[in-house]
Parts: sequence; C-alpha cells; structure tokens
Amino acid sequence: MTKYYEIDDIITEEEIVSVIFQKAASGVGIDPSSETNYIETGSKVELPFWLAHELQLRQVVSINIPPCFDQKTRLEIQADCASVDLRSRCPFFYEFGCKIAPVVGDRTIGFLLLSAFKNRYKEVLTKAHTAAFSATTKFWSILTNEEINLYEAAQSSMASFKKWRIGGPRFQKAPVLGRKRKSTQ
Amino acid sequence: MYGRKACQLVKELASGEKGQLTPFNSDLFEQVVAECTQHHLELQALIRKMQEEGLDVQTTRNAEHHGALIHHLSLVRNKRCLMAYVYNRAETIQSLLWKIGHVLPQEIEEKLCHPEVEYFKKHSAALKSYMSKMQLDLTVDMVPPKDPYIQVRVLDDIGDGIVLSDDKTANFARHSMHFLKRTDAEQFISRGLMEELTG
Repeated sequence: MTKYYEIDDIITEEEIVSVIFQKAASGVGIDPSSETNYIETGSKVELPFWLAHELQLRQVVSINIPPCFDQKTRLEIQADCASVDLRSRCPFFYEFGCKIAPVVGDRTIGFLLLSAFKNRYKEVLTKAHTAAFSATTKFWSILTNEEINLYEAAQSSMASFKKWRIGGPRFQKAPVLGRKRKSTQ
Repeated sequence: MYGRKACQLVKELASGEKGQLTPFNSDLFEQVVAECTQHHLELQALIRKMQEEGLDVQTTRNAEHHGALIHHLSLVRNKRCLMAYVYNRAETIQSLLWKIGHVLPQEIEEKLCHPEVEYFKKHSAALKSYMSKMQLDLTVDMVPPKDPYIQVRVLDDIGDGIVLSDDKTANFARHSMHFLKRTDAEQFISRGLMEELTG
C-alpha cells in the first residue's frame, strides 16, 4: 500500500495480460469480442493486470504468462541482453516481472530478470558516463523506465561533478518555469 | 470504462517532464467521476438482481456476483487513479513554493485549476506565518555563501521602486547590472528575472 499514490506503479499495473475465466460473470462489458454482457466460463479475455490479479486471488480467472516473458524473449536475452528492445515489449519490464512472478507460478522469471538486469546495467552505466549525445537517443529507445531512471541519475551526477570542478553559479532559474529562456550558463 | 480513462489521466501526469505540471484536465477528470457513478449503478443493479432471486448476497458466488466484483474493482481503481492525480499535483505545487517563491507566475497559474491555486495561496500563507513566528527565512539557500553580495544583471523589466531588505529602493531596468545582497537577489534569480554574473 505504500505505492498507492505512485504513478509508475499505477501504469505498471495497467499492462494487459490474457486470462481464462474459470467462472462466469454477468453484467460486465469488459470483453470487446462478445456481443452480450455475459462472459462464459472458459473464455479467454484480455484484462489489465490490476483486475486480473484481484480476480485470480478470488479464483475467478487463471492468468497466462504475458508475451513479454515468453520463450522468444528469453532466447533473445540469453543471446545478447544489451541490444534487446525491452521498451517495445514492456516499458516496465522489471517491475511488471516482479508482480507477475508470484501470480503465474513461474519460478524462472526471477532469474531471467536478474540476468537481464545485470548485463544491461553495465551497458547503461558506461553509455551514461561516456557517450556523446547522438549515440544516446538510439540507445534510449530500448531501455525500460527503471533503466532510464538509472541512466539519468548517472548523467546528472556527472554533470554536477563537472559543474563542481569548473565552478558554475549556484543559483539558476527554477527548472519548473519552462524553456522560454535558457538557464544561466 | 474499466479504468482505462483513469489510467489515461495518470499517464498524462507521467508524460510531462519531471517537476513540470501539465494543464489540469478537468474534462477527463469529470468523465472518470461519471464512470464511477455508472459502475456504482451497475453494481447496485446486479446486487438487486441477486436479491430478487432470493440468493444470499454475502455468500453466493454466481455470475452476478463476479460481475458485481468487477464493477467494484473498477470503481476502486478509478478512485486510486483520481487520488494519485490530485496528490501528485499537490506535491508538485508544494515544491513550487520552495523553488519559485510566494508569487505564482502567469504561465503556471493557467495550468492549475481553481482549488489548486487556493491550495498554493493557503500553503504560502501558512509558511509565511510560520517563518514570521520563528523569525527565520527558510526559503534562502541552505549553503552559506562565500560572499554576502553578488553581482547580477537584470534580464527582464522588473520596474523601479522595489524596496530591498536594507530599505533602499532600486531601479531594475533591463540589462542593468547591480551589486545586491544575496538574499534579495535569490528570489529574482529563481524566477528567471535576473542572472548571476560570475567572473
């Protein structure tokens, strides 16, 4: 419950998973393919994770593994982690994986996340500290949100360090005011 | 329905840059509130149907119950998204006070809805009364400066007759340079009206 107000948590839980209804439900128009408001037992529906999770706790549905953790992705990660485009699969790959793992009952997801993260982390750090601007935009598009936070933290720490060495002005225009004028120095 | 619009609202918040506010989307906000009412009505209809069939509402687990459950969960989800939207905006507004000072610039005021502007004013008044009771100005820089005076160049026309802390009036015309006390200049620099000259 500590993450109740966190925006990233809310967006992570909105990821779509496909579920199979173990029991029927009436009066809900959540299945776009059925014409009536009735969901049959055994029908396959795409639901957002927050709904699927709660329904699974009450044993109304059973959740299938989402496509971002399937065999194809696993093979790609084993082959070359650093260039796998995780963002197009799921921008909250790691957080979503952590939530899905206890629900789907697949023990290997944890190891998968860990190995992917370890290998990509090295790349993220080296690129953050050294790469020129042109190379970064292409790299950015394959990072998940968590990795981007790390990347930005590394870049800002480099920038502060340089600023401390050169000695810029301590006071600048508050960044919240937008880009009408360039900030000092 | 079913939390999609509410999530859109939250995504709007996330899409702005860190610390920046997007304009308050009151249309979408009201749509989500209307959805909540609709979910509630459908929930009540399903419960009534179960009662008409003579089933015990607390324990039966039939199709209507599951439908009612889905409506209830969507309602709770909508509530969470709305609360998170308002809460995160309130946090940003609070931090605005510390960064910009007690006066809201026009460009930010247009992005806030009316209750948010009231919130800012009350927060700023509370801070002022606290600071005056403590006789301490908490909004200045936390690191003590090497030199109490700094040189600044004025970027925007602030006007003349501004009273500084040592009871002198100064004329801040554009591009003029002044040698001011740090505490006076800080509030203008953070609003982007002046810049510090180093070296």
